[in-house]
Amino acid sequence: MPVTIVTSETETSPPGARREGAALWLRSDELLASTGWEIKPEGVCRGEICVPLPEDRAGALLAERDGATWLDVAGFAGYVGQTAAHDDATETWYFGPGPEERRGQLDMLDAPDFELPDLEGRMHRLSDHRGKKVLLALWASW
Amino acid sequence: MKGAEVEREFIEAAKPEHPSLLDPRFIVAELYNTRNVPAVFWIDEEGWIVRGNDPVYAVRRNRETGETTINERYLEAVRDWVRAGPASAYLTPSTETQRRVGSSDEANQQAMAHFRLGVYLDRHGHHEQAVAQFKSALELKPDNWNYRRQAYNLGSADEYGMTMQEAMQTVGPMYAMPLELPEVPST
Repeated sequence: MPVTIVTSETETSPPGARREGAALWLRSDELLASTGWEIKPEGVCRGEICVPLPEDRAGALLAERDGATWLDVAGFAGYVGQTAAHDDATETWYFGPGPEERRGQLDMLDAPDFELPDLEGRMHRLSDHRGKKVLLALWASW
Repeated sequence: MKGAEVEREFIEAAKPEHPSLLDPRFIVAELYNTRNVPAVFWIDEEGWIVRGNDPVYAVRRNRETGETTINERYLEAVRDWVRAGPASAYLTPSTETQRRVGSSDEANQQAMAHFRLGVYLDRHGHHEQAVAQFKSALELKPDNWNYRRQAYNLGSADEYGMTMQEAMQTVGPMYAMPLELPEVPST
């Protein structure tokens, strides 16, 4: 069954993804688009954060197969404390922000940036309004 | 009709001059750690939150009489901030803003993962699987009204074994964060 990976910002179905027990293996070339993480010499990185993998962890979370490097993204999420949820029946996985990302910004009262569409599909970014006061009002019609 | 399309009629009726954005995936609720609507944040010119998480609408409609009233007191507070900027008495000290915004605890982050997966699954026609995720989210955070209201809206209270009224009796009132406005405006 195809695997779907949902994150804060993306929804992807990487064709190469393989589920093995509790592990979800992603090939390095599909990793960035699906999770935002990248395998670099210094570790597994997203934006400015790099997580070095000690040898014993690297042995469990990284694999060399079919001439490519693979990361067990479910195991890795557990290792770095990234929140995750999955549904077996549809093979859908959600990966949330990591602990560094979810602390810090809001605690500092630094308004987290986001980009969302209006009714016509035009995209608006909060930071486009820098230099003006912004009243951010969240509502729903429930 | 469910989901973000429901909001179209409200936005088209209100004809706002400001951008009115759709967030069917609850991205902003996750980023701003909100657990109900309404929630209003004041963000200054440099991108700092200077007042946060006010449970307030500009206009309130009485559900029984249908009568609407404009929240003049809050609008005056907003106008005061526009005029006075950092000198406005309605800004809250940063420690108070931090208390009102709160930092998201581990349980809520995990609950959010279940909730957002549930939203995705429901949107893609997997209602039964979505309900299971919403239940996991509500087990971790029974007082997150965003989760409960959206879950009930996408299905029904029967699926969760508790009406909204019963939930409020069990886990507490919907608006735990009071609106605190000082009596004396600064300008």
